[in-house]
Amino acid sequence: MKLPVTRIQRFSTHDGAGVRTVVFLKGCPLRCAWCHNPETQRMGREMMYAAGKCIGCRACEAACPRGAHLFSNGAHVYDRSACALCMACADACPTQALTPAAQEMEAEEMISIALRDRAFYGREGGITLSGGEPTAQGEAAVKLLAMAKAAGMTTAMETCGHFAPALVAPLAGTVDEFLWDVKDTDPARHKRYVGVDNAQILRNLRALDQYEVRIVLRCILVRGVNLNTAHARAVRELFASLRHGVRVDLLPYHPFGSQKGEQLGREGGGRTDWIPTREEVEDFRREAGL
Amino acid sequence: MEFYTCFDRKRPVRLDDATRAFAWESLHGKYGQEAVRNGAIAMDGEEGFAALPPLAQYDLCIRRIAERAPLRLVPGEHICGAATLGAAMTHHVPATLGGEPVFYSVSHVTLGFDHVLTLGMDGIAQEVRSCLNNPDFTPEQRALDESLLSAIESMRIWHGRYLEAIGETQPEMRARLKRVPFAPAQDFRQALQSLWFTFAFVRLCGNWPGIGRIDQMLGKYLEADLKRGAITLEEAREWLAHFFIKGCEWIEKDTPVGSGDAQHYQNLVLAGVDEEGKEVANEVTYLILDVVEELGISDFPITVRVNPRTPERLLTRVAQVMRHGGGVLAVYNEDLILDSLAQHGYPLKEARRFANDGCWEVQIPGRTNFIYLPLDALRALLIDTLHLDGEPAHFDSMAQLYAAYDAAMRRVVEDACDRTLRDRLDGDGNFRKKQPCSVVSLLEEGCAQRGRSYHEGGPIYTVVSPHIGGAPDVGNSLYAIDRLVFQEKRVGFDELMRVLQRNWEGAEALRQYALNRITYYGNDCDEADAYTVRVLNDFAGMTKKYDGGPIRFPTGVSTFGRQIEWAPFRAATPSGRRKGDVLSGNASPTPGTDAQGATAVIRSFCKADLKRQVTGAALDVKLHLSAVRGEEGVAALIALIRGFVALGGYFMQLDVMDAEALRAAQRDPETYKTLSVRVSGWNARFVTLDKQWQDMVIARTAQEI
Repeated sequence: MKLPVTRIQRFSTHDGAGVRTVVFLKGCPLRCAWCHNPETQRMGREMMYAAGKCIGCRACEAACPRGAHLFSNGAHVYDRSACALCMACADACPTQALTPAAQEMEAEEMISIALRDRAFYGREGGITLSGGEPTAQGEAAVKLLAMAKAAGMTTAMETCGHFAPALVAPLAGTVDEFLWDVKDTDPARHKRYVGVDNAQILRNLRALDQYEVRIVLRCILVRGVNLNTAHARAVRELFASLRHGVRVDLLPYHPFGSQKGEQLGREGGGRTDWIPTREEVEDFRREAGL
Repeated sequence: MEFYTCFDRKRPVRLDDATRAFAWESLHGKYGQEAVRNGAIAMDGEEGFAALPPLAQYDLCIRRIAERAPLRLVPGEHICGAATLGAAMTHHVPATLGGEPVFYSVSHVTLGFDHVLTLGMDGIAQEVRSCLNNPDFTPEQRALDESLLSAIESMRIWHGRYLEAIGETQPEMRARLKRVPFAPAQDFRQALQSLWFTFAFVRLCGNWPGIGRIDQMLGKYLEADLKRGAITLEEAREWLAHFFIKGCEWIEKDTPVGSGDAQHYQNLVLAGVDEEGKEVANEVTYLILDVVEELGISDFPITVRVNPRTPERLLTRVAQVMRHGGGVLAVYNEDLILDSLAQHGYPLKEARRFANDGCWEVQIPGRTNFIYLPLDALRALLIDTLHLDGEPAHFDSMAQLYAAYDAAMRRVVEDACDRTLRDRLDGDGNFRKKQPCSVVSLLEEGCAQRGRSYHEGGPIYTVVSPHIGGAPDVGNSLYAIDRLVFQEKRVGFDELMRVLQRNWEGAEALRQYALNRITYYGNDCDEADAYTVRVLNDFAGMTKKYDGGPIRFPTGVSTFGRQIEWAPFRAATPSGRRKGDVLSGNASPTPGTDAQGATAVIRSFCKADLKRQVTGAALDVKLHLSAVRGEEGVAALIALIRGFVALGGYFMQLDVMDAEALRAAQRDPETYKTLSVRVSGWNARFVTLDKQWQDMVIARTAQEI
């Protein structure tokens, strides 16, 4: 069983209990305007090109069967429309200016990488699935989590919550802790900035809350979008209504995702006016009763 | 008055204001300045001095220091005694003839301070006198023991001057000092005064000893005092704080920059088992952690002996202190070290006494003469094996290349050991005469009994430890050659050698490939780590032929800061580094090569059979402060320590740092005077490091999330 992995991050201390290994999977049903990991949004292959790392050695030009890499006056032009994403150029590039956004990896390999840090997990630590949206992999994500549990690790999943209701029960049986994104509590704004409204997400949350799981709500704070009293109060109510809510984490927007967006050849993102101030975050925290 | 922390919460305040103010002025160089002004005692007026034999010259120097060194009594201090002569900070006995110091002093040693507490200096003098009754003693042996007694008498003079200076103003301090350090300590306060006064005298005479297992030495006194209600924990904390604050007396206001100012080797060791195998950690252990947590004092770098049974309470406190940065705390993997020492031939009870040498090399305190020999393995590969400084060598296979490197390194090791043997022993295998150092010999078991000094085979053990430096860069270089030349055939062997001689000129794509497309040591990649592991393990066997002689040659792994001095004498490396780049320190990954985080670094390190590195192998792990935020941060640090122990690590310096703050300190040193960093075996206030050292600390990747 192979899955597209953008990154495996070891010694992660803030993505679930204890020391954890976080596996980032590619593919997400949402299109958040502020996405911090844009390389994990789309399913399928993507090439990342970091122009700053190019030394003009032309290894890519030589490797490309379709002429997607051109050099004129020493400047490297990457023509994405001509690129078939065969990754031959990435393989040839000495500086890693060109890299595939993800690589297909066997589930067993992911488990074995995560198990390398078993000595550091204690009773709490283990594996965290993230993304993208892990459930975009459907049953495969559940299988991966079950394998992790069978290997003796605790499991956590970072999720946007937008998935088929049929996954609720299998996930409840394989995930110890959900890190559940609350993008926004206003359905209209949710649709505008994320691409879908939050009805399905809330239904899934309520359904999961019927099981013995731990749920951490994680709220992205975007200034000028959801950084307001009404949202804070709604978060407070939502959390209070959960039977298995553990805590609420606030995640102030940061523009670092924009660099990766550029490397994917996308426009937009990286809005500094979206960054909340420390005071605004503290105000929100108070309003949300945290 | 805020003591620097890189953590997002302030340091706790438990000590009283006067103690905190005392710490502040000491940390900002008040007493160090005084010492520098005091300089040294001039021996020029001593009639016939030049004609005296060295031992008599030494005795006289110590006598005059004791008689004339300025005394310092700070109002409000709980314990007295001060090393007030600045020349001691230059590694000399602070006595000069014609403006030049007469004798070097001793460091890398931890003395038997425990005997002073239990026997008192008078008890020790009695032991020396009974040794003098040995009818087989030669005149030379007698002279040595007479010199030990002379050192005690000089100390008595200095002690008498303090008693007189205290006068009737502080009757309690005077009463304590009347008893210690000449008689055994009876309670906690006396024990602390005895330990400090002796330590201060040894330092006054120029030496930089480690303290050793302070919680083991003081714990029983505090326990008894607490039981009979003679002291409270709060009072004991204040007293220990004074000990630590007085230890900052050599901090100067404006230290000339170099490799840092706080490296006077007054390291100490906390917790771990005693000779009977019982855990030592006691209230003194926890109070010391309170003190360094509050004041951030880094002049006593602390190593905590950790084993799988270490109490959670202790590890939690260690992690909480670590979060503030400064690198004050490091950890030993106790069980592995005990195995290592036993394997080297120390009886278990003896091994359990281990502490460090005032840096982090393991030794049996109070019984060991110790030095280490820093050896550059990367030079052995690049110059001695590949001959990149002349006509390059050619190898047809990795097996051939490795065998040649191994032989070259063995020559380096044997040359160093043979040189040591020639230097230390005469043709009959007897120790040669060296400069006198009776103040140190006095507190080293074996010296009085054998009538030989610390440097002349007096202590029970004489240990000369070859230390390998640059092993990760040798491993990385070998792995890069394996990949580039033999596995992937991207470049021919001879062509690569020419490229390296050109310092990678004209081969940027290949260099970038070597830098970016090959995974190196420190990422928990078995294939990449294998070469470094092999280099370390094979090195450990290279001193085997010296077993059984009067000098022990156990191996260890370190560079301390030598990766800086060595850089110009190396060449460009096959792993893509240019000539002159500052490379790996200790057994840590080369800056910029570790991308998988702290757990991967620890796992890579622990793949080597570290128990064969008897005097130690150091790993520096620098964590970005974001990794240790909040309560999860404490759990993460504990997890790292527990994992390090479980995986078979030896010594780990965990430093929490914020590269941004360090850069800010480079720009604005005045504001960051007390910001300390762990350099290697020592801590330094960051602003006292020169630019190259500062950059090295910043470059050593903080393991960011």
